[in-house]
Order: sequence, then structure tokens, then C-alpha cells
Amino acid sequence: MSSHDPFDDLEAELTALGDLLDTPSPPPPDVAAAVRARLETPSPPPSDAAAVRARLETQPQDSARRVRRARWKVVAAVVLAVIAVTAATPQGRAAVARVLRFAGIELQLADTPPAPVRTTANLPGERPVAPDDLPALVKFPIRTPSELGAPDHATIADQDRVVSMFWPDGVRLDQFQGGVDPFFFKQLGPPWPDYVQVAGTSAWWIPGEHPLGYIRRQDGTEVPLRQAAPTLVWQRDTLTYRLEGAGTKERAVKIAESLR
Amino acid sequence: MRHAMDDDEAIARSLDGDLGAYEALVARYSALAHRTAAMLGAGDEAEDVVQEAFVKAFRHLSGFRRDAPFRPWLLRIVANETHNLTRARGRRSDLAVRLTAAADPAAPDDPAGAAVATDRRARLLEAVRGLPERERQAVVCRYFLQLSEAETAQVLGWPVGTVKSSTHRGLARLREEVGGELA
Repeated sequence: MSSHDPFDDLEAELTALGDLLDTPSPPPPDVAAAVRARLETPSPPPSDAAAVRARLETQPQDSARRVRRARWKVVAAVVLAVIAVTAATPQGRAAVARVLRFAGIELQLADTPPAPVRTTANLPGERPVAPDDLPALVKFPIRTPSELGAPDHATIADQDRVVSMFWPDGVRLDQFQGGVDPFFFKQLGPPWPDYVQVAGTSAWWIPGEHPLGYIRRQDGTEVPLRQAAPTLVWQRDTLTYRLEGAGTKERAVKIAESLR
Repeated sequence: MRHAMDDDEAIARSLDGDLGAYEALVARYSALAHRTAAMLGAGDEAEDVVQEAFVKAFRHLSGFRRDAPFRPWLLRIVANETHNLTRARGRRSDLAVRLTAAADPAAPDDPAGAAVATDRRARLLEAVRGLPERERQAVVCRYFLQLSEAETAQVLGWPVGTVKSSTHRGLARLREEVGGELA
């Protein structure tokens, strides 16, 4: 082609223009580290409930998932758990609009506030133990928020997989090995959970009172526990924490960050 | 210094579960992947799209034909993710780029000529932005990303003939818009 061929000139011009176009991107090592962090996070094995939700997943919810994922982009480098927001209108909980699985806690989001739980129940196999005995009784490292000091009393439950600590002013901290199958579920309506950070990692603040229950590991049955106070949920390593009764979001985050 | 792994070695090690090797591959293609996502319309979600694409690429790495080049295979996944995103948004994808403020290297001593050239570039970019979707994608892949026709076909998932015809139509439309003459 001769250089007077207008197409040829235009092609050269477009190539030169391309070189002048700015497409910012983060430092490659950061991207690599973020991708690695995601690959190192085990994805939850599909439970029956998840399979039902997956089948029901449709385009509008896919869009919602995208939007939500974009919001988490900023913390991608420190991703602890791949959070799957899946459509959820399985049988028996038709009012649930979306399910958020976060670190062993399933947040069932509905457009209207769920009916409160009037009863209270204990976790499966929950029994009181002396706080000092906890490290010897469970397989994971026990952490205590220095902000609160030593707990007043403690329990362990679910074959020693869930530890709960209690303080006199109504604060309760649950810690358990999560991240795979959800163990707790929370039924939420507006106000929606609020995304926050705890020591640089992702966390959710659930601002309103809400029904709390657990999902039986054997068969996935949902067992209501009680009406829970505003709660902060977060994850550290493979452990999930839920802090209830701290009052404000700010105090909850402060307590969470003091975990030692 | 340690020798730099080539793609094939990095892929082989990644398939063995060596995440460090995969990190090297991600770092190597990160800028190109972001550029591709941005130019195909991912906008400010390019970072998100790219991360997702790299995660998917790792999970599908066993399906990658080792005798084929990695670059278009990866960019195909980036393009697919971008497409899913723009479709989910339910609107037309945008060419999310901007002209750098760099001085025109061709005419350092000719400010007036440089200004004209800058103006023409801006008009050309606007004209590319205004192209019908497929023509724009073809032009972006061929000239802005400097992919071959075969690579463009692979990345966009089109037959090579469609790449050729879309590129041709796009170029013709650009000529109408901004004129064929160089300023």
C-alpha cells in the first residue's frame, strides 16, 4: 500500500492515537497479589441450598451481584472470602431477595423487615465453660478484645467449634471456624448491612435488630435462635467473628480491632 | 538474577498449583488486561473485571492449549467479562480512555501544527467512540490494542471475516467523519 492510500494513513493514525491513550491500571504486583489472595480462598462447596439458589439465579440478580462486587473492589487486595451474592427465593423463604454468604454467616436480605423471633434458644450443645479453659478446649486460637478485657463468662457449642464470650454490659463475641459452610444465618430487611473495615479487612455492620439462627451442619435445617442486637461480622484468617451488643458501629469496630 | 520464566513455564508451574508462578503471569499481563478491559467498555470497573478474568483464567487453565499463545486466550476472557458487565448494566459500553496530555513528538518546534494535530486526534477519538459497537470493537482491537486480525477474532469470538468487514466499515465511517487527509 502506498503512503497516500487514505486507509493506510488512517490506520497509522489510529495506531499512533492508541499509543497516546491513557488507561490507568494499578501496579501489576498489587493485581497479582489480589488475584492470588482470591485463589487461596477456598470457595464454598455447593450445598443443596446453594444449588437451589444457583438454579434460581437470573439476569437481574446477576446485575446486582456485579454492582455489589464493584463495591468490594477496594478491598480486593485483602479479600478474605469470596462473597457470593446469589439470588434466593427458595421454597419456604420466598421473601428473601438476596443471600450474602460471608465467612460462615449467611445474610438473608429481604425487602421488608422479617418478623422478629420471640423465643430464645441455645446453640446446639452449648455449655458453659471457664474462660481460662477455652484454649485447651478448642482447636483454634482464642482471641479476646483488649478493649473489653477478660469476659465475664463463656460457652462452647456445636462440638466445640463455636466459642461465645460474654461481658456484663451485654456484649457478646462469637468466634468459630467459618468460611466454608455457613453456620449462622441472619434474616435482614432494611436498614441494609453496612460495609466497614476492621483492621483493613472487610466486615459487615448489621445496624438493626434481626432474627438470628443457625444452620444445622448435618442437614442444613435452619433453627431460629433469638432476636439479635446490632452486630458486626468479620473474618480473620479462617475464623469468623460476630460481635453483638456493642451499641454503635464505631464502638464495635474499635472492639473488633482490639482482638488479640 | 533469576532467569525470567516464559509464559509456557509459568503456565506449566501454575497448573502444578504454583501460585507464585501464576502471580508472575498476572503481573506480566496486568497492564494489557486493564487496557483491554477499559477499551472494550469496562470503565471504572476495569480493575474488577481484570481480577475476575485472572481468577477465571486460572480455574480454566487446564483447558488452555499449550501450543497456542497465552495472550489472546487471556484477552478473550477479559473481553467476555467486560461484555458480561456491560450487558448486565444494560447499556452501551463506552470507550473509557482519555488522551494523554503529552506533547506531540512529531512537531516539537511547531506549536500551531501541534495544536492542529491534537485537535484532529481528539476528533478522531470522538469518531471512534461514536462508531457502531461492532465496528468500534474491531477498530479498538486492531489499532488501539494492536492485535492481529486472527487475535482480534479470537478475543472477540468472531469469525476472521467479520473482523475484516467490521474493521473495513469502521475505517470507512471514520474517514467520512474526520476526513482522510492528515492535518
